[in-house]
Amino acid sequence: MFRNELFRTATFRLTLAVVAAMIGSAALQFFFGYSQASVFEAKRSDMLLLREASILQRESPAVLEQQVRDRATDDLRVIMNVTTLFDAGQHYIVGDLHTWPTGLVADGRVHVIGPEATGGGSSTVLRMVALRVSGDRYLVLGRSRHMRTELRLMMRHSMLVSIVPTVLFALITGIILSHRALSRVKEMHEAIDRIMEGDLHERLPAGRQNDDLQRLAASVNRMLDRLEQLLDEIRDVGNDIAHDLRTPLTRVRARLDRALSAGHSAGALRNVISRTIDDLDQSFAIITALLRIGEIENGRRRAGFGMVDLGALMADIVDLYEPIAETKGITLSCVAADAAIQVQGDRDLLIEVLANLVDNAIKFTPAGGRVAIRARMDEHCAVMQISDTGIGIPEAERKAVTGRFYRSDKSRHIPGSGLGLSLVSAIVALHHARLDITPTRLHDSLPGVTMSIVFPPPGVVQPVN
Amino acid sequence: MTVPPEPNRTEPAFPSPAREDAPRILLVEDDSKIAQEVIEELESRHYHVQHEVSGAAGLAMGLNAHFDVMIVDRMLPELDGLSLIETLRERRVHVPVLVLSALSAVDDRVSGLKAGGDDYLTKPFAMEELAARLEALLRRPDNSRHTMLRAGPLEMDLIERTVMREGVPIELLPREFRLLEYLMRRPNQVLTRNMLLEDVWNYRFIPQTNLVDVHIGKLRRKIDESGRPPLIQSIRGAGFMLRVS
Repeated sequence: MFRNELFRTATFRLTLAVVAAMIGSAALQFFFGYSQASVFEAKRSDMLLLREASILQRESPAVLEQQVRDRATDDLRVIMNVTTLFDAGQHYIVGDLHTWPTGLVADGRVHVIGPEATGGGSSTVLRMVALRVSGDRYLVLGRSRHMRTELRLMMRHSMLVSIVPTVLFALITGIILSHRALSRVKEMHEAIDRIMEGDLHERLPAGRQNDDLQRLAASVNRMLDRLEQLLDEIRDVGNDIAHDLRTPLTRVRARLDRALSAGHSAGALRNVISRTIDDLDQSFAIITALLRIGEIENGRRRAGFGMVDLGALMADIVDLYEPIAETKGITLSCVAADAAIQVQGDRDLLIEVLANLVDNAIKFTPAGGRVAIRARMDEHCAVMQISDTGIGIPEAERKAVTGRFYRSDKSRHIPGSGLGLSLVSAIVALHHARLDITPTRLHDSLPGVTMSIVFPPPGVVQPVN
Repeated sequence: MTVPPEPNRTEPAFPSPAREDAPRILLVEDDSKIAQEVIEELESRHYHVQHEVSGAAGLAMGLNAHFDVMIVDRMLPELDGLSLIETLRERRVHVPVLVLSALSAVDDRVSGLKAGGDDYLTKPFAMEELAARLEALLRRPDNSRHTMLRAGPLEMDLIERTVMREGVPIELLPREFRLLEYLMRRPNQVLTRNMLLEDVWNYRFIPQTNLVDVHIGKLRRKIDESGRPPLIQSIRGAGFMLRVS
């Protein structure tokens, strides 16, 4: 199993490709080297033939005949394979070729003559030259291509001798490297298996070498860090949900228990029931808000997008919240921009954002305070601001307040699902807008808080139909 | 603190048979648990309930028998709720329809109303909410073109924008006027907070604060001044009612 895997690793396949490339390049080298050498050899043969012919041509007929006879036996045959003298009728006089090669013209140039044309005088292809010499005779000189054949044999041999160990070496190296890569991959597989079995603290093994496998492992580890962090957050949120739901339910249980054990009048029981329903309603509100945040974060609500007039939105919200502000002794005012400001968005969701922010502002502002809603253009971005003169949000908590169930210690006594700002964040994100939280800092004793929703410049948000 | 008055209805221990003249309701819902709950609730309120599980069967029933109101779930086997309503409207059946839908499909509200639905309720819903909305559909509001509205001792002049109780003028803010007009068009009818938010203010979310209660409280203080019998009553667990004789 492991051995089979070894041959299927990327490293081993790469080795095979390298080996193939090596064999290919050796073959090419052989081919080009051989063809170059054979061209060179042919030129050298021709030069030899012509030089020899010109030397012999100058000899007297008797000396020439003697020389030709000698050559048939002496060592020079290795260089000049054929030396023959023919008479004017191209009949054999002396030498090692007994018949005139068919197709050979006595023009003093080199011709390539096949073995069949020599009448059995040669077994290989010959480069031949024939020329008239004194005494009305013909001198034929020839050189076989044995040098070229030898050259080819030699080169092929040396290639084989060198390629076999090279290939073996490459293959062995490839197998070793593949084995190492495979064992690292195997370690990673084991680590991943452990993670999948639920051990979320496990990470991929960190090797020493800074290679691509290592970088991949590092990326995967970073991803696992982030996932673990997200899971922790979800677990925290889950704990918070459980806690926030348990509190009213515990109260409900205790109250019902008390009502059951002691005899009560119908009126007292009705009172118990009505308070019980309030607590249950709070639990429902938490669940509804959570589901709604989930729904908005899933991004399903882009269908309701259209042009929304911020001025009209603000007037509506003031109309809705004025009585409550009045009851609490808070001035709720609305400052509209000079020109109508429109943003691309979902009217129902933006009203919800505004309602949540105004709701919070009124909740966290003591009697006599002020809550103001403004809309203005900042560069090309529409900005909607809700300012209050309330208890404010400390700088350290500004980021955390949009998290689920976050409630500052100062606001523990104020009822609420703790999800209002999470909902606002989700809707703001859906609009590709930004929520800025800054202190209002009027000349009041309390810092107050200003929530600014900065919309993207027009054209950035495309409605999804 | 005043103890809220008892609701007008009495809860029977067992569903009692509906009277002959009781409103007939067609429920088309494939979720058997929800259907069971709705049927029990409606029968306890003396309605005749006919239940169909599939869209096709619901359509056949809606076309062939007379009903006073229909409750149609959006997701149905064979034929979906919206197609059912569209087909009904094409065949000139104008029975009021309340559309039910899962929470994740809030966007569908508009398409539900466009298809010919008269009201829209997302699951999960309180039974009081369903009952109040059915009641509203059964008693279509007095949308007459009269310039004067009358409900018990209250008189409203829609042109002059004035309100009188037994001839005594009452000063109202525009938003209080709008709220009272809505109540006066639906006297003796339970109106939930969600119905008021949706219809009077055109909002579709549940605010953290008891917004509607504050608005009603302000209006109540002006309408039911001391000594006079209260007209705007709170219905525990459901909402409000303008009770006039």
